[in-house]
Amino acid sequence: MERYAAAVRRVARAVLGDPDDADDAAQDAFLSAFVKLGQYDPQRPFGPWLMRIAANAATDRRRRRAVRRADPLDGLVASGPRPDAEAQRRELGRRLREALAELPERRRTAVVLFDVEGYSHAEIGRILGIPEGTVRSEVFHARRALRVLLADWKETVE
Amino acid sequence: MIPEPTPFDHRPDPVLGNALHRALDPGDQAAFVARVMAALETARAAHWDVLASWARAGIAAAVLAVILLGGILAARPNRTPASLDDVLALAAGPSAGVLVGASSPPEPSVVFPSAEER
Repeated sequence: MERYAAAVRRVARAVLGDPDDADDAAQDAFLSAFVKLGQYDPQRPFGPWLMRIAANAATDRRRRRAVRRADPLDGLVASGPRPDAEAQRRELGRRLREALAELPERRRTAVVLFDVEGYSHAEIGRILGIPEGTVRSEVFHARRALRVLLADWKETVE
Repeated sequence: MIPEPTPFDHRPDPVLGNALHRALDPGDQAAFVARVMAALETARAAHWDVLASWARAGIAAAVLAVILLGGILAARPNRTPASLDDVLALAAGPSAGVLVGASSPPEPSVVFPSAEER
């Protein structure tokens, strides 16, 4: 479980935004995987199977709950500019999370699964239940939006 | 300058990936794992509770079935098995004794008179 916990939590956070909601969804995903373990085909890789459960758990939770956007840590960072690198990293993290939150749910899940977790387009297609071409399109649009933000941030820092 | 992405990029972008990784870093992995393990234990215990409740109902049903079957068997008239001597005594002729005590296959000359006796 420790091997997949961080990835499941990141994907859940990409979907939900709020870290507490994300951890609740990640826990739901692990409990659900435990119950469904008999349905897992050992001939197939475990990661995409678990990620599909995680993405569904996060989406379900998002539908059930009104998601709070506020992040207490972010609030602390935003309360005043700090010149050190750690503060800049936090600021970038906050802006990236905000930018992610602006993207459609499927788009942000796809880009996180591709660029952060390293799954292939085909695997993401199976995880999200969409064609591979749609995954490519979602990742492309998400990257374009997020890279603009990254480039702006780099220019500001440099 | 970050190059403009195309839909045909098939490799993960390490710069964007690292930035997103840090932005989504959940932190305190150990606490989360402990929390999920505790929840799994609770779920497993609940699972066994359900099975145990089913088992209790099953055992109760089995005990009831055994009691009912015992009652039915006890209510039936008691028949004691007949002894061989009683059977031979009922057969009036000598042929029955010959048939029962025979070590070789029955002879028609014995069987037919025995049948005729009846």
